Amino acid sequence: MMNVRQMLRTAPILLGLLAVHQAYAEPVLTVYTHPSFAAEWGPGPAIKEAFEERCNCQLRFTVLDSGGAILQRLRLEGAGTSADLVLGLDTSTMETARATGLLAQHELSLPELSLPVDWQDPVFVPYDWGYFAFVYDTEQIDNPPESLEALVNAPDDLKIIIQDPRTSTPGLGLLLWMKHVFGDQADERWQQLQGKILTTTQSWSDGYFSLFMNGEAPMILSYSTSPAYHMAVDKTDRYQAAPFEEGHYLQVEVAAVVNSSDQKALARAFLDFMLTPNFQRHIPLKNVMYPAIDLGDELPDVFDRLIEPSRALMFPPEALRDHRQDWVNEWLDAMTR
Amino acid sequence: MHAATHNSPPLAHRNWQLAPGLVFSGLILLLTGGGLLALFLRADSDLAALWQSAYLQGVIRFTVWQATLSVLGSLLIAIPVARALVRHPSFPGRSGLLRLMEMSLVMPSIVAVSGLVAVYGRNGWLAELLQWAGAELPWNLYGLTGILLAHIFFNAPLAARIMVQTLERVPANQRRVASQLGLGSWQLWRVLDWPALRPVLPGLAALVFSLCFTSFAIVVTLGGGPGATTIEVAIYQALRFEFDFNRAALLACVQLLICGGLWWLVFRQNRHQAMLPDQSLSVGAHARRPDSTGWRRSADQALIGLFALFLALPVLAIAWRGIPWLAGELVDSELALWGATLRSLAIALPAGMLAVVLTLALLAATNALKPGLPRSLASVSGYLPLIVPPIVLGTGLFLLIQPRLGIQDYGLAVVALINSLMALPFTLQVLRGPFQANSGSTLRIADQLDIRGWYRWRWLQWPRLKRPVTLALGYGTTLSLGDFGVIALFGSPAQPTLPMLLHQQLGSYQIAPATGTACWLLGLITAIFVLLSRLGRTPGTSGVNHA
Repeated sequence: MMNVRQMLRTAPILLGLLAVHQAYAEPVLTVYTHPSFAAEWGPGPAIKEAFEERCNCQLRFTVLDSGGAILQRLRLEGAGTSADLVLGLDTSTMETARATGLLAQHELSLPELSLPVDWQDPVFVPYDWGYFAFVYDTEQIDNPPESLEALVNAPDDLKIIIQDPRTSTPGLGLLLWMKHVFGDQADERWQQLQGKILTTTQSWSDGYFSLFMNGEAPMILSYSTSPAYHMAVDKTDRYQAAPFEEGHYLQVEVAAVVNSSDQKALARAFLDFMLTPNFQRHIPLKNVMYPAIDLGDELPDVFDRLIEPSRALMFPPEALRDHRQDWVNEWLDAMTR
Repeated sequence: MHAATHNSPPLAHRNWQLAPGLVFSGLILLLTGGGLLALFLRADSDLAALWQSAYLQGVIRFTVWQATLSVLGSLLIAIPVARALVRHPSFPGRSGLLRLMEMSLVMPSIVAVSGLVAVYGRNGWLAELLQWAGAELPWNLYGLTGILLAHIFFNAPLAARIMVQTLERVPANQRRVASQLGLGSWQLWRVLDWPALRPVLPGLAALVFSLCFTSFAIVVTLGGGPGATTIEVAIYQALRFEFDFNRAALLACVQLLICGGLWWLVFRQNRHQAMLPDQSLSVGAHARRPDSTGWRRSADQALIGLFALFLALPVLAIAWRGIPWLAGELVDSELALWGATLRSLAIALPAGMLAVVLTLALLAATNALKPGLPRSLASVSGYLPLIVPPIVLGTGLFLLIQPRLGIQDYGLAVVALINSLMALPFTLQVLRGPFQANSGSTLRIADQLDIRGWYRWRWLQWPRLKRPVTLALGYGTTLSLGDFGVIALFGSPAQPTLPMLLHQQLGSYQIAPATGTACWLLGLITAIFVLLSRLGRTPGTSGVNHA
């Protein structure tokens, strides 16, 4: 029988052994993310390699099919989630994610960011950003509309493809863009726009691949950075974004630490790493978005040939939290009337 | 005598027929019920207010409307095509066309939509052809037109295939008499074809209605906008992005009531027999039909030709764009395509086999039961997966399982399980007829000879079932192979299956590889169908059914 004193004497040894064991069994950092980040042609694989070189750990991506799905899975799993970090939420899902109470503060002092807006958030760390824009086929359109107003007023034989704000991030982006520009008149403007909408797809990829690339419509709601991919990788200038006078709605993609994680320190180390060139250099061509820090010469040349919106439009996150549902319903009403 | 009662054949006890099927059907009821219940338990908003919203009512109206139109369109096209095919029992490419008709059902919808757009879209082949002829495309694909076109593309071949099989079962002597009387086309329809088709039409209509009612990817892509939302789409949106479990559960119940009610009516009439093709084609055995000569012959040929084009063109469009990339890249052994193919097969093959086993057990149990509530429940349970959306089943299961097991390790097994349940309505239709085909007198003689249990299965059932089983396996496997809904919920896309790989490529500007993947997936599905239909046709074992 071991008495109390003996037990106390062995405890430090046991704890020491445990520590040694943990040091040798590499900790695993589980990251919930979306497919375009983790796919073999996305930034994920290179970033995993770069981070694992310095962290003595294993980075494991659990890939869910969209930013919305990440949030959905997190909510379903609650505090029992196996995620240590979520990467791939954005400015429109941020507040809903914050409201779950499942995310922890990042506790970092962020380096100088290169975002079009000032970023002060205790929970979410941005890793890339982009503007929503209409991308058009230069072989079908010579003079695209120069403003959202002009697009709304264009004749109905100009066909566009948009995405559903209930299921797609760019779709929600356009909803907010219209709301930001037209305010209370947004629903009338949606009705004016309706005749030009060839179809509303569930996801960006359905519209871009099955329809836009098939030449079904000359214009599609996408990102101002989309042409960068076509120019740099496909080597074609055929697809360009149309600059709109009112400015463009901004999307910032973010990551955050999960509160229930037992690897919070490691997760914070990853967030720290996220804002270094070793992470950020993979963003421009592999995620086809703007990097969150200034990459200097490392930014691919094609990014100099993208449109530069005069204004970055964005609602404060609280406005989204309070009004998103109403705005979506208003859109539904306008479109089914 | 003494020895016979004690050494009864293996598995001869009645419970061996009854228990597995009852257990399975109980499990299916439990899973669907549990899935729905789990959603309701999570619900926290006001159901009554939800029910009264104008948007929801619009969605329900539109869903019923488009499904009804799709059923009408599919059946009206299927009937003349089936009659034409029956009038011409042998022409080159006929069996190829029949395979194509069987396949239409399992073609992954995102692939089919892409093919349809390439042919019938604003910049498709047809539009180009018309432009060259100085005309314009007479329709706008997006909206109800597109939905109907796609639904007819999926369902008319299925309906026609089943009708061909039904019409070919008309006994030869009836045909001979009709032939001797020199009946015209309209009279033949009244005397021979309509009486043969009438019993299968309600079940067929219910099947097509359910398939169109629950249609998802097609409606989303070709529907045009929120005006064209079906209940299934609304459920997806509610679950995926609004976290509105209430709305999802309510909508799922509406779907269950409408489609379930329809199936209940069909079951009550007992008109759901042998609806899917069992590939038992009788070639050339029929008396020549008097309505297959002269100008009717040319009209039939034109009709069959048009229908074949309608089915083949979208497939060709996919191959046309996919093959160049595939040909260039297939040699690369590091290709993500290989891993995805293996993973897909690792899910789809067990799912297909499980679907067949579940089906046989369910059929054995329904056969052994007397008419009554347990029997009806066992019959209906197999059709539940058609009308309870997989995403509801999936999310419900997720809520039920996840807190206990942690989903990571069970993911693929759960995917295979749900996939096999989803295939049940189809495998049931394939196997039901052949399973019940032994006549009462055969069974009585078998009883007297003590051919029961395992021996009855081996010598009486299996020879008849071998061929339909391979077809059922084909349906089960390929349906799972093309599945995206369930895998999206449970799988880990770091290790994608083929449909996931396709979606990932589409999401990342990988247009050329995506066309390659779509083409590869289609090729794989074709290969599985051809291979299995060859397997089922091995000589000597399958002669009973179609001698």
